[in-house]
Formats: sequence, structure tokens, C-alpha cells
Amino acid sequence: MPDSVHAIELTVNGEPHEAVVPGRQLLVHFIRDTLGLRGTHIGCDSGNCGACTVIVDGKAVKSCMQLAVQADGRALETVEGLSGPGEEPNDLQAAFTRHHALQCGYCTPGMLMSATALLEQAEELSLDEIRRGLKGNICRCTGYVNIVRAVEDVAARRGLA
Amino acid sequence: MLLPSLAYERPETVEEAVALLRATRNARVLAGGQTLLNALKLRIVHPDVLVDVSRIPSLREIAHEPDGALRIGAAVTYDELAASPLVRAAHPVTAAMGSRLVDRQVRARGTIGGNVCLADPTSNFPPLLVALGARLRVRGARGARETDADGFFLAPYMTALAPGELLDSVLLPALAADQRVGYETLQVGTDSWALARASALVRCNGTIREARVALGCGPVPVRQRAMERALVGRAPTAAAIAAAAALAGEGFDPPGDVHASAAYRTKMAIVMARRAVRAATEES
Ligand SMILES: Cc1cc2nc3c(=O)[nH]c(=O)nc-3n(C[C@H](O)[C@H](O)[C@H](O)COP(=O)(O)OP(=O)(O)OC[C@H]3O[C@@H](n4cnc5c(N)ncnc54)[C@H](O)[C@@H]3O)c2cc1C
Ligand code: FES
Ligand code: FES
Repeated sequence: MPDSVHAIELTVNGEPHEAVVPGRQLLVHFIRDTLGLRGTHIGCDSGNCGACTVIVDGKAVKSCMQLAVQADGRALETVEGLSGPGEEPNDLQAAFTRHHALQCGYCTPGMLMSATALLEQAEELSLDEIRRGLKGNICRCTGYVNIVRAVEDVAARRGLA
Repeated sequence: MLLPSLAYERPETVEEAVALLRATRNARVLAGGQTLLNALKLRIVHPDVLVDVSRIPSLREIAHEPDGALRIGAAVTYDELAASPLVRAAHPVTAAMGSRLVDRQVRARGTIGGNVCLADPTSNFPPLLVALGARLRVRGARGARETDADGFFLAPYMTALAPGELLDSVLLPALAADQRVGYETLQVGTDSWALARASALVRCNGTIREARVALGCGPVPVRQRAMERALVGRAPTAAAIAAAAALAGEGFDPPGDVHASAAYRTKMAIVMARRAVRAATEES
């Protein structure tokens, strides 16, 4: 069976985009190779680690676990959308720096996107909800404590704690 | 990883989806993709065509049927199930399950229909649906049919769906005022996969009138008839429930592996069955 190809339209970090994608292309490959946005990482390529997490229509999803064509008509947000080149890091990025919430940084884009969606969807965020909310993201360096502190800090500053 | 060559289709109605499944011998339904995409990456399945049902409006509905049953479209995602006021009101345990599966990312994509059709022995929903007496509405070239959840799961990863059929919706019978549901899991970690599961639907008004108990994490979810019979007519005391639960394990046949022996899984299933009935009989 030959590959199908599909014309898709979506917004990427707020900008409208049109593209033609093969039916079998994973969203993460579209993001990294077609859009050239290499902030989104591939860790396990099996839905376990969360390094590839992006936001689609407001929800955090693992971009290795869906097809690019399935993002047709959707609003896609990647880590590059948090703050532009030359801009100050946003409040969450700044909190990650302040709390030493990253070491090697491999998990960080996925953590930031998961936490971004978590903070945006919640009206209130307890410590337990933060921990549970980040369960889909594995970090092999930090031991999570500082990541959770960074998110708690932002939750408090945004009046969610 | 690159997926094998395939054609992707996104039908807009169930009729179109069924026609696509019929037109191609080797077509496969794609729902949340939270298992299927891995199976494609690992070359475990080789479909020529993926039929993406995740945006079909009728499969995304949650509504009451004329008989009071709650109809949940197969493509409703876990997080939608958890957030739905209808599900929360009519079937709170089912709604809670939607918020306790895996992680937020998987809950945003994974569907109740995919969970049921995958028929993974460790999956969350199959034992719950068997205990609830859920019916599954199936659509195929010859129209719609309904089948009981108890009987749908034939073997690990094998269901009663015939080639060319798809799951349309899950029908949860309305709970009577004196009916309650319990669900207990021995998990490996929070919101994680499990070694043993048990779910119970109990009708109780001081005395247990009716009980359905199902165990999960064996090859298929299994009703526990001896335990159910032993519960009926008894007051829901800890001792009576424990005595009945001692009869659980019937036909369970769990695997023994590096995580736990079969004997341990069976013992734990009995504990889960006892706790599930207690949860379903406690005054709230
Ligand atoms: C890291 C991780 C951990 C997980 N842990 C758990 C867990 O602890 N418990 C658990 O229950 N699940 C777990 N899962 C599995 C997850 O819940 C799956 O998403 C789910 O079982 C399949 O649902 P899906 O919508 O993603 O289906 P898909 O992956 O799209 O499809 C799964 C199968 O069902 C078929 N199918 C789907 N919908 C239909 C339909 N309407 N009609 C006919 N056939 C259909 C497909 O053809 C395919 O064969 C985990 C997944 C991941 C990635
Ligand atoms: S790379 Fe997608 S979850 Fe690990
Ligand atoms: S900082 Fe290294 S994996 Fe998280």
C-alpha cells in the first residue's frame, strides 16, 4: 500500500501553517524535521517518557504517540512558543532556573509543556496534583523535587496554590 | 521511528468508517493511538489502511438512552469521561477511572473504546464493564448489534468483534438507588498498570440483594459466581464479605512472571474483590 499524503492546516505557536504530510508521519517528526523546531525531544519513542510532550488544543500530549495528520485543524504549542529568541524566559522557565529544576536538560522541554498545560487547566493546584500531573514525564537527573518546587512556585505566583 | 507504509483515512461518519473497513481487507481502526502507534512502530501489526475514528461526532457523544442507560461513544477520551457531568452523576466510579489512568498526556488521547477493543489483560476498563453489566454497541456492514461486556473478551487481545466491525459505544445500565460500585486495584505505582483488579456492583438495603464481581489481570475479566452467590442474603459485614471473597479466584488463571507469581496474583485478587465489595456496600 503506498503512503497517503495529506494537506493539513494548523497553527504552530500561534502562527498559521500549511503543510503536506505523509499519513504515516509522527507528529514529533513533523515538529522536529519539517518545522525544524528541535526543542521537542525524542526519548523513548514509546509513550513512556514524556520528552516529546507538546500542547495540542490546550492539552499536553506525547507527540511520538500521534500522527502529524491528526494535528490538522489544531493549535500546536511547542517549547519554542514559551519565549521567543532574545526574549526573557517566561515565569515557568525562570522558576525552573531559580529552583535548579534541570540538570542535563533532556526532559526539560517536555516538563515545561506538561507543566504549562497543567497550570493553565487548573483553578487550584495542590502538591499532590502537581506530582500526579507530571507523572507522564520522566527525569533521570533531578529526582523531581526541584521540578515540583518550581511548578509550585509558579502556581503560588499565579494564585493557584 | 518511521511507521510502515500505510494509507490514513479520516471518515466523518460511522457508516463511512464501516465502508472503509469493508473495502480493505487489511484495515485497522485508529482511536487514541496510545497503543496502536507503538504496535505499528514495533511492526506487530501491518495494516494497509488506518481508519481514524477519533473525530467522528457520534462516537464522541455521551448521552442517556431511552431506557436510562448512559451511552458513551467509543472515541470519548479518558479525560473527557472524567470531566463529563453526565458520567460523574450517573457513574462516578467510571468517571474517577478516567482521571486515574496512566498520565495526563495519555488521558488526553486514549479512548474508552480503544481500551475495550485492545483487550489487554491488565487494562482498567474491562473488569469494570463486566461488573457493571455494560453492553457494547457494535457496528458492521450488516448494521448494529449489541453484546454484553461479559462475553466480549475472548482471550488476551482478542474480542468478539468480527473483521470489518467497530465498537460504536459502551452502554452503562442506570444504577438503582440501592446499587453501588466498587473498584480496587493492586497497582505497581500511582495510576499505573496492575497485578490484580476487582470490580463489584452490589445491590444492598441492609441485606445484599444482588452482587456482580469481576476480577481483572487474568487472561480475560471473569465473573466470580461462587462469591456472588455467597454474598446474596447476607448483611454486608466485614466477616460475611471476607468469607464470600475466600471463594474468589474461580477461572482467574493469571500469569506468573518476573513481577509476581500466579499464586500471589490470585491472593491479591481475592483481597481486591473483598475491598471492592466493601467499597460498594459502605454507607456514603
Ligand atoms: C505509557 C502507557 C501506559 C499505559 N498504561 C495503561 C494502564 O495502566 N491501563 C490501561 O488500561 N491502559 C494503559 N495504557 C494503554 C492506553 O490506555 C491505551 O490508550 C488504550 O488501551 C487503547 O486506547 P486507544 O484509544 O489509545 O486505542 P488505539 O491505540 O488507537 O487502538 C487500540 C486497539 O483497539 C482498536 N480499536 C480502537 N478503537 C476501536 C473501535 N472503536 N472499534 C474497533 N476497534 C478499535 C485498534 O484497532 C487497536 O487494535 C497505557 C498506554 C501507555 C502509552
Ligand atoms: S519520546 Fe514520546 S513519550 Fe518518550
Ligand atoms: S534534567 Fe536530565 S533528564 Fe531531567
